[in-house]
Amino acid sequence: MSWQVIAAKEFDDAVRSKLLWSLVAVVALVVGLTSLVPLLIPEFDASVLMGLGAATEFAAMLVPIVALVAAYLALAGERESGSIRLLLGLQPARGTVLVGKFVGRSGVVVAGIGLGVVIAGILAWAVYGELPLTAFVGILVLTGALGVAFVGIAIGISAATATRARAMTIGIAAYLGLALLWDLVPQGVHLVVLGGFPTGSVPGWYLLLEGLSPSGAYSALVTAVLSASDPAIPGAEALLGGPVPSYAQWWVFVLVLVAWTTVPLVFGYAVFRRADLN
Amino acid sequence: MPAIQTDGLTKRYGHDVYAVSDLSLTVEEGEVFGFLGPNGAGKSTTIDLLMDFVRPSSGSATVLGYDVQEEAGAVHERVGILPDGYSLYHRLSGRKHVEYAIALKESDDDPDDILERVGLDPDAAARPARTYSKGMSQRLALGMALVGDPDVLILDEPSSGLDPDGIRDIRELARSHADDGGTVFFSSHILSQVEAVCDRVGILSNGRLVAIDTIDGLRDAVGTGATIALVVDAAPSGVDLTDIPGVADVTVTDGVVSATCTEPSSKVEFVDRVRDGGSTVLDIETHEASLEDLFSAYTRPADGRLVVEVDQ
Repeated sequence: MSWQVIAAKEFDDAVRSKLLWSLVAVVALVVGLTSLVPLLIPEFDASVLMGLGAATEFAAMLVPIVALVAAYLALAGERESGSIRLLLGLQPARGTVLVGKFVGRSGVVVAGIGLGVVIAGILAWAVYGELPLTAFVGILVLTGALGVAFVGIAIGISAATATRARAMTIGIAAYLGLALLWDLVPQGVHLVVLGGFPTGSVPGWYLLLEGLSPSGAYSALVTAVLSASDPAIPGAEALLGGPVPSYAQWWVFVLVLVAWTTVPLVFGYAVFRRADLN
Repeated sequence: MPAIQTDGLTKRYGHDVYAVSDLSLTVEEGEVFGFLGPNGAGKSTTIDLLMDFVRPSSGSATVLGYDVQEEAGAVHERVGILPDGYSLYHRLSGRKHVEYAIALKESDDDPDDILERVGLDPDAAARPARTYSKGMSQRLALGMALVGDPDVLILDEPSSGLDPDGIRDIRELARSHADDGGTVFFSSHILSQVEAVCDRVGILSNGRLVAIDTIDGLRDAVGTGATIALVVDAAPSGVDLTDIPGVADVTVTDGVVSATCTEPSSKVEFVDRVRDGGSTVLDIETHEASLEDLFSAYTRPADGRLVVEVDQ
């Protein structure tokens, strides 16, 4: 199967990138250290789950950078350099190329970020003296899924653009909009609809809006995992001050992550399929 | 069945920029076909169209009977391409490149055989491609093109960056590929690089096919023409310069009378006739046409010193 060959080569190629591994090291370091932050706040009855919760706040911002850096040049870079002529000369089916790129780069990102999270987990375990396995595995899987979602976004962008510069511009815009600034959307809507910023409990639609970005969906799912593991950690119900409406259930955010992974890929393919590569 | 056939193939950018215009050409199986033209004539765009890298504005093309767009997979299984303007994967070794090509083409070639055929030694093949010179890159890309023993080999400016040894290797490879029954589509902007190896050549200029013939056919056409230009004090009058046997394409401009002479002896007759017309001949320039002139004549029509007609 050709896409597997391409995926394996992408993995082989990307694992040789020093930039990527520097980023993974940064993720491991930052996530590991932030998991220790609750210990520094005396009022907190710091637990390892709180530590992991704090760490995922940073992961939600850092993982997208790693994924975008790992994948934004996957196709646009090959188009600009011309290596795509060798690749498509050998395998002309552009869908196959796209799938291979996505799988290969996702593999690198999942491996790198997984390693980073495991290192951070070991650090947290050593310091707190415990690590609830289910919650930790849940966070590991979710963090990987967030990485894969942003690889999907990055590959979609890369497929739809012809140059490095444009792929980078759109990639940075996607990062700012989807990872860093998205929280302004529910807050802005709250301000407009209810005349002020949220205090105390929030309406159900607020939770939904917050979780419509990949990083937001990730945070919502992490909250669900942590509060399921330790009822002392506030979940969606506590935030709403009441029952959770069906449109803000955890599975909605799973769908959101899946959509962010696949829709950009499909869109990118639609553009790439018709593109003149010269 | 033709190895490559294009029918009215056209690629237009914007409203009126024609990279390739109404190109109809047939390359038979087993021949080495030289695809000539200056840079920017549309050679690479034609190859991009054959490879489905770009899509035609109109017209169609087949390779070994397969439509290049609808059946790109079948085409690529049977084609090896050394593209122009490619680049390698800098972090991967030469050997990895060949292994990648073998895996993608699902062929059972031995990477070491391929590397040896294109003259890359094992030390070089083990190094990452970013350390390669242009010549080594070209050899590696050629090796990737040879993977899977393709029926049709498309070489786009294969000599660029190669030293004379490399250029000779490419020619020998092209020739032996055709001798084994394969087809070679050899694109170049330098006539001398294809004339030794090509059975036929097509000349492309501004996206249009302006000539297609065997090298011998072109040579015959060239053999019929030498130009003579006489610098005179005044244009000849009262004489007919056009009825001299073996003289054609007479032009009289301010101070220069020129013509194409198909017979050597007609030059003298031509000079005599001009002098009969009352002109004093101040200088005589003659020019034996070469294949290069022919190429120039086709591809630089503004330079009207040589006009040759070739039977198509």
